[in-house]
Amino acid sequence: MWKEIGDREMGKIRPNSFSSQIKSNRISNLQLSNNKDIVSPHRGSVNSLQVDLTEGRYLLSGASDASAAVYDVQRATDYEGNGLIAKHKCLFSVDKQHEKGHKYAISSTIWYPVDTGLFVTGSYDHYVKVWDTNTTQVVMSFKMPGKVYRTAMSPLATSHMLIAAGTEDVQVRLCDIASGAFAHTLSGHRDGVMTVEWSTSSEWVLITGGCDGAIRFWDIRRAGCFLVLDQSQSQLGRRPPVLARSAANKVNVSKSLSAGQNSLGKQRAPQKKVSNGHGMKQSTIGRMPTNGSVRQRLHPGMLSIQDRATAHYGAVTGLKVTDDGMYLLSAGSDSRIKLWDLESGYNTLVNFEVVRLQTSKAIQLAISQDSAQVFVPCMTVVKAFDVWSGKMSLTFRGHYESVNCCWFSSQDQELYTGGNDRQILVWSPCQLITDDTDAGRTKDEDNWSD
Amino acid sequence: MDSVADSDANHSISLEQNLSFSDTLVALQMMRAQFPQIDKVAIQPFILQSQLYSSVKDRTQVDRELESLRRDKVVRIFKLNTGQDDHGIMFLDDYLKQVEHVVKRMEEKKQGDLEVFKWFKVHVIESKLEPSIGHQELYALLSLGGRVKDEHVSLLINAGLLTRQLIDPNMYWFAIPNIGSILKGLSQGRKELLSLLNRRRYKEMMLAPLEKKRLRLSPLDMRFHLRDLIGSGHIKTGHTPTVLNIRLMEEPRTIVMQSCDVAINAG
Repeated sequence: MWKEIGDREMGKIRPNSFSSQIKSNRISNLQLSNNKDIVSPHRGSVNSLQVDLTEGRYLLSGASDASAAVYDVQRATDYEGNGLIAKHKCLFSVDKQHEKGHKYAISSTIWYPVDTGLFVTGSYDHYVKVWDTNTTQVVMSFKMPGKVYRTAMSPLATSHMLIAAGTEDVQVRLCDIASGAFAHTLSGHRDGVMTVEWSTSSEWVLITGGCDGAIRFWDIRRAGCFLVLDQSQSQLGRRPPVLARSAANKVNVSKSLSAGQNSLGKQRAPQKKVSNGHGMKQSTIGRMPTNGSVRQRLHPGMLSIQDRATAHYGAVTGLKVTDDGMYLLSAGSDSRIKLWDLESGYNTLVNFEVVRLQTSKAIQLAISQDSAQVFVPCMTVVKAFDVWSGKMSLTFRGHYESVNCCWFSSQDQELYTGGNDRQILVWSPCQLITDDTDAGRTKDEDNWSD
Repeated sequence: MDSVADSDANHSISLEQNLSFSDTLVALQMMRAQFPQIDKVAIQPFILQSQLYSSVKDRTQVDRELESLRRDKVVRIFKLNTGQDDHGIMFLDDYLKQVEHVVKRMEEKKQGDLEVFKWFKVHVIESKLEPSIGHQELYALLSLGGRVKDEHVSLLINAGLLTRQLIDPNMYWFAIPNIGSILKGLSQGRKELLSLLNRRRYKEMMLAPLEKKRLRLSPLDMRFHLRDLIGSGHIKTGHTPTVLNIRLMEEPRTIVMQSCDVAINAG
């Protein structure tokens, strides 16, 4: 460590590589924190964790007993054990007793990305509520057609304030805070939508993963999704070699052209255009009989409904985009984690050695800032994998029951995990407990008890 | 010729020496040679993907090499219905031999016009390399041979070349014909082996005596099952000072001390 500082001083190492070396050293030393403890007031399993994106100071958690709580992770509320253990109690919590609180489990809590004045909660009682942090009052409330599995707001958005909500209904709804109404709905999934994430490279791109195993990319300015990830289309490596990709592209283009020609060519007579939404659903169901029967003409943006490619053999339970917006990690209930190259839309075939993943609930993945490690809750442990090779590097064993969510704070290299055992655990790089406090005591005391 | 080589491979090389290979293709060929002889059913050797994972150290390398072998039409991959994400791998020549065998048997029974099998072999197998095919595409590819009727597709399903799985009603999955009883034996054998380890007091056993046991419910041999379960993470190998032993993997319920054995798959 001192050698690195000396090199930085002499200019041999650049500042960015110096800080990333130190950060990755600290990450490889992560273990259950021996000096920080978060006291969780929840009486149900912790479903969602997020540290705010502006300051990195406040941790928001949501639990199955309809309670949401905020903690300050940088300043402790009180100290124990001779000032060695910092206890972080919650600053406030809202639960069922609150006059407008949720009635059933809260599945997702997120901060308003611009500042910590607002936060959004989504719950199994079909409501998405926007809360004012300082007064802890509900500012706005949106009713959804089904249980809300996940909500998300874009961290890059400058021109819109949309909350994307994935529910057990097949349509993804966008709620607008500015107007208090729904902006529009995105249809294309064939089953409930379990995970929603905004892209980190564009404020208009939304990525959703459904219980039907498909991952779809939506540009919210247009109708229909522009990309559906297919697990059978893969590339051998992080970036495809130039020649191989153009050959693979030609194969795919010809396949999709032939499929498109088949579907359009089998029209018997010109039909009037069917409007999007309800009518579209009826026409897709009517297309099931196999003998090339009469097809409705589709709006070109809605052709993606016919694309039934799946990214996983089960439901998609977790999604995470890397910070540079180039790769996507997806976890499925088939206990597989896949890494997708977003520019080409292919599976990079990196194999993460996962034995079992939780299948009934969504899990929250976390990724380190330089996209080198991904933290995955696997049943009762959290495992850290190297993103590019798929090898497991660390295991965090501490929870008594399944872990649901984890959040990595890249500012102080700390990992927060919440699970079914109602605890929120902090994992930080090991710190030496100095003997400063002991030196003040009399040195003549020995260790015998009286 | 093959049977002599098989019996040699079976007797002389024990699993302990043969547990890991350097390359996916080498692993595939060795495991194909070690495929057990099954008397009642005529089936060509196939390899499970989990067996490959237990044999080659780097799983990403296995996936990528398998992908390039599939694209070069050396092997074919089938999704099996024995559980989550189980895949079977067969060399293309073996698969074509198996298809021939089934077609000959159907010819003997005179079950209807069999030109669909020729169309299937020439048009569909050659061009569609993925494990599944959509309904429209199947019709389109078969029509390159002649007029296709629904009865033709039913013939293919009856012969066991295509099946449907619960995931998607509109999608057909390629299947290895005649494999049904073996897949049943596979899942029963897995359960039997796991319960064998579960009944022991410390849930572990030495590899040498374990290998000599015969599974009652499965036509496949112990080595096949051991490789499969090691690769899917249900059991793991550990070293005692002298020999190799097999331990049952279990998710710990409370925080326990890490054992100091060398383990290939950690908790």
